[in-house]
Amino acid sequence: MWPILGILTVAIGMTLYEVPSLVERNLKRELWVFFILLIFGVILSIAESLNLDIPNPSDFLTVIYKPFTDFILNIFK
Amino acid sequence: MFNNWKISPHQFEILVVMCFIGTSILFSPVDLATTVKQDAWLGAIAGNILGLFLVCLYNAVGNYFSNMTLIEYAESVLGKWLGKTLSLLYFSFLFINCSMILWIAGDFITTQITPEAPIQFTNTLFVLIVIMGTRLGLETFARAAEVLYPFVIGLLIILMIFVLPDIESKNIQPVFEYGIKPMIKGGLFYSSLSSLTLIPLMMIFPAHVNNLKEAKKSFLRGTLLGGFVIFLIVTLCILVLGQDMTARNAFPSYALAKKINIGNIIQRIEAIIAIIWFITTFYKMLLHFYGATLGLAQILNLKDYRPLTLPLGMILVVLSLVVFPNVTYAGIWNTTTWLPYVLTYGFFLPLLLLIVSLFRKSKKRI
Repeated sequence: MWPILGILTVAIGMTLYEVPSLVERNLKRELWVFFILLIFGVILSIAESLNLDIPNPSDFLTVIYKPFTDFILNIFK
Repeated sequence: MFNNWKISPHQFEILVVMCFIGTSILFSPVDLATTVKQDAWLGAIAGNILGLFLVCLYNAVGNYFSNMTLIEYAESVLGKWLGKTLSLLYFSFLFINCSMILWIAGDFITTQITPEAPIQFTNTLFVLIVIMGTRLGLETFARAAEVLYPFVIGLLIILMIFVLPDIESKNIQPVFEYGIKPMIKGGLFYSSLSSLTLIPLMMIFPAHVNNLKEAKKSFLRGTLLGGFVIFLIVTLCILVLGQDMTARNAFPSYALAKKINIGNIIQRIEAIIAIIWFITTFYKMLLHFYGATLGLAQILNLKDYRPLTLPLGMILVVLSLVVFPNVTYAGIWNTTTWLPYVLTYGFFLPLLLLIVSLFRKSKKRI
C-alpha cells in the first residue's frame, strides 16, 4: 500500500514539475511521450514493489544471441 | 536548442577517459586474470591495441557526419524506416546497458560500503544525480568533468605510489606461459568492458565537438590514456595480489587498495578507489543516459529531450532491479551474452554505417 502511494506521489510530482512548461510552450508531442513513458514507469514500479515477475531483458537477449554467443565462445575454446 | 551545444576537444578527451575507465577499473582485472592468468597485463595490451583500432573505425565513421549524431545519420543514410529501427535498437542498447551499469554500481555500494541500505534507494539516488546531469546538458557536464578530472588522476597516482612497496615480482612469472589465444580472448573481453562501450560518445562526437580534426586526435589520445590507466591497475593487481587472488576477488582493485599499509599510519584507504570509481562510473552512466534520452527524442522528432529524463529515470531504476537477479547470473551473463551483444552495437553498427556511406559516396561520383 505505502510503496504504491509513494510511487503515485512521485509521478504526480513529476507531472507538476514538467507539464506546465510543456503546455506553455505548446509542445504536444513531448507531452504525449512524457505521459506514455510515465504511465509505463508507474506500472513497472508498482509491479516491482508488489514483487511481481517482470520480464527480464537479459534473459530475452540470451535467447536471441545464443547462436552468436556459441560461435564466439567456440573460436576461443 | 541543443543542436548548438559545443564542447572543446580537451573536454571530449576527458569524457573519453572517464567512459573508458568507468566499469573496467573494477572488472577488467577479474576478467583478464581468469582468462590469461599471470599474463593479464599482456592481455590488457592486446585489448588496448584492439581499442585503438576500434576508435579508428569510429573516427572514420565520424568523418561522414560532421554535423549529425549517430541516430540522425543512420536515418539520413539508411532511409526512414530502417534507420529508425536501427536507432531504436541502439537506444535500447544504451538504455539496457545503462541499467546494467546502475546495477553494478548499486551492487558495489550495497556489498562493500553500506550493506544495510536497500538497493532501491542507492539506485534511486544514483539515478537522480544522473538525471540532473542530463538535464543540465552536455556543456555543463563536460565542464564538470574538467573539474573532477584532476582528482581522478591525482588519486590514481597516490594509489599507485602507495601500493609500490607491496609488489612481488614472482607473481607475474613465468611470463607468456599460455600462448597467444587466451591473450586475444582476454583482450576481447577487456575491450568489451572498455573501448566497445565508448559507443554512446557517438551521440556527441562529431556533431557537438567544435574541432573535428582535433577531436579525432583527442578520441585516440583519450583511449590511449584510459587504456594506460587500466593497464597499470591490472599489472599492479597481478603484481600485488597474484593471479589467483585477482581472479577470485569480486572487486580486485578495491582489494588492492585495502592492502596499502605504510608504516601502520596510512592504511585502509580503499575509499580512494571507490571515489575514482564513483566519478568515472557516474560519467559512464551519464553518457549512456544522455545518449539514450537524446536518441529517443531524435527518433520521435521531439524539440526537447528534457521532459523524457524523469520518466525514463523511473523506468531505469526498475530495470536495474530486474536486469540481473543475482551476482552469479550477472557473472555468467557478462562472460557469455555480453560480448556478442556489445559487439553488435559497438562494432557492427558503425561498420555497417561506414560501408553504406562508402557505397553511397562512390555511387554519387559515378
